[in-house]
Amino acid sequence: MIQLFHVTKHYKGCRALSDVSLRIEKGECVLLTGPSGAGKTTLLKLIFGAEIPDDGQILVQNRNIARIRPSDVPFLRRTMGFVLQDFKLLPRKTVFENVALPLIIRGLSSSGTKKKVNEALQAVGMEHKRTTETQVLSAGEQQRVCIARAVVNSPIILLADEPTGNLDPQLTYEISELFKSINARGTTLMLATHNKQVVDHMKGRVIRLDCGRLLSDQRAYQ
Amino acid sequence: MKQFAYLLREALTSLRANRTSTLVGVLTTGFTITSFGIFLLLYLNVQKVVGTLQDHVELIVYLKEDFSSEEKSQLERWLKQEPSVEEVSFVSKKEALEDFHHQFPDESFLLDGIGGNPLPASFVATISPNSNSATFVSNVATQVQELPGVERVRYSQEWVERLTLFVSYLELGAVIIGLILCLASITIISNTIRLAFFVRREEIEILRLIGATGTFIAIPYVIEGAILGIVGGGLSVGLLRGMFEVFLQKINALGLIGGFPSALEFFPFQTSLTLIIGGMVLGCTASILSVYSWVRVRP
Ligand SMILES: Nc1ncnc2c1ncn2[C@@H]1O[C@H](COP(=O)(O)OP(=O)(O)OP(=O)(O)O)[C@@H](O)[C@H]1O
Ligand SMILES: [Mg+2]
Repeated sequence: MIQLFHVTKHYKGCRALSDVSLRIEKGECVLLTGPSGAGKTTLLKLIFGAEIPDDGQILVQNRNIARIRPSDVPFLRRTMGFVLQDFKLLPRKTVFENVALPLIIRGLSSSGTKKKVNEALQAVGMEHKRTTETQVLSAGEQQRVCIARAVVNSPIILLADEPTGNLDPQLTYEISELFKSINARGTTLMLATHNKQVVDHMKGRVIRLDCGRLLSDQRAYQ
Repeated sequence: MKQFAYLLREALTSLRANRTSTLVGVLTTGFTITSFGIFLLLYLNVQKVVGTLQDHVELIVYLKEDFSSEEKSQLERWLKQEPSVEEVSFVSKKEALEDFHHQFPDESFLLDGIGGNPLPASFVATISPNSNSATFVSNVATQVQELPGVERVRYSQEWVERLTLFVSYLELGAVIIGLILCLASITIISNTIRLAFFVRREEIEILRLIGATGTFIAIPYVIEGAILGIVGGGLSVGLLRGMFEVFLQKINALGLIGGFPSALEFFPFQTSLTLIIGGMVLGCTASILSVYSWVRVRP
């Protein structure tokens, strides 16, 4: 599903990732951990086509995205969902409109959009706030809407970067549960976090990064 | 369809959200097209006058004060046999005076003091349109000048030549001014759009995150530019129409040569439409320029 071969990424004078090789299978639940600046975000960005590696190859569903054309990046992203710490929801638009956006972009019909958005909102328990504008929602609610938006077009891969960074332990628990259930339905999950609570709760494969190097890679044992 | 509805809504929202820059964009396009339109109006009308003049070039042969009737009939015969002359009419001294009083009633007193009739008799020969080239007419004029009983020959071609030159200057001016103004308004509109873009960079980031193509992101701004251009174009056509009417009234009030103002014309409907479409093209070009320069730098 996702394969990295000797991937290296530098930023001006700074080595964000060096010689990282990985293989992630379909349906896996991968937790990326490590101290701040370890390269977790960089790794996710590379898979998402937001950055190009300096060296090495990245295969996502057998497509080499180390050499992807910029015009193909949007289509790569449509097969993935992305959840961030700072939500990135459109303000002054309703919950429904926000979740519908990935479908509008793909040109889905009105009725199809409605059905899928409602399903996604139901899955995250936000269907009762469909017509609320997103800026008035609480942090936990906003993150649920983000997750609904990320899964609304049934992505094969869900990437999450510190999805619980702004949430209290109770909400962190709930959001982790949500990710777990999404993963249980077959979506490959890659979640970057330094929250031990999330790592312990998710019981997934733990990949530890430090200073851009792969420190350890432990399969889940249940 | 749903996509288009969404994109149009986005464009309108952005126009409403950045009122000042929207206004600036509309006014700039309006100004550009108005300036260009004034030139075009001038150009079209002068060209029309030239066209009318060219259609009936007249050779006016003034006769000597003491011409004999034999000289007169000889001259008339000569003019009639000349193939390029279509029509010959004689204006006697008396008729010339009547014409003068009729055309310039206010200036009649000028002749009163002189006593008698100072105006000469004349032949007016209409030159056929297919033989009215400048050199040809002046050739005929010199030949007629040599005939007995002829005092002077004048022909309207002189005017036509001057006006034709003027028209070609106008053409050149229109092209230069048009280019400069287009560049200026493209710059200003693209700044308007860039500002709209800047205000909404978060949103654009989000759209990219969820897999929107550059085109999808750009379309609302192109629509925005098109709307700015159309409104600016429409505004300037209205303004031109208004200015034109006021100009006509002023001319009529001045009581200039009868018949001249009625010959002035506003552009035909197609030209007005073309100006508005021109505004739209201007707006679209400006947005495309600014949006794509942005989209290209951010993968
Ligand atoms: N756009 C950038 N320009 C320059 N340096 C960058 C850029 N993005 C990341 N870096 C550097 O790359 C290194 C890895 O950053 P990265 O964001 O991947 O870390 P992280 O593991 O996500 O950290 P955190 O847990 O704090 O989010 C850091 O040292 C960071 O300063
Ligand atoms: Mg990070």
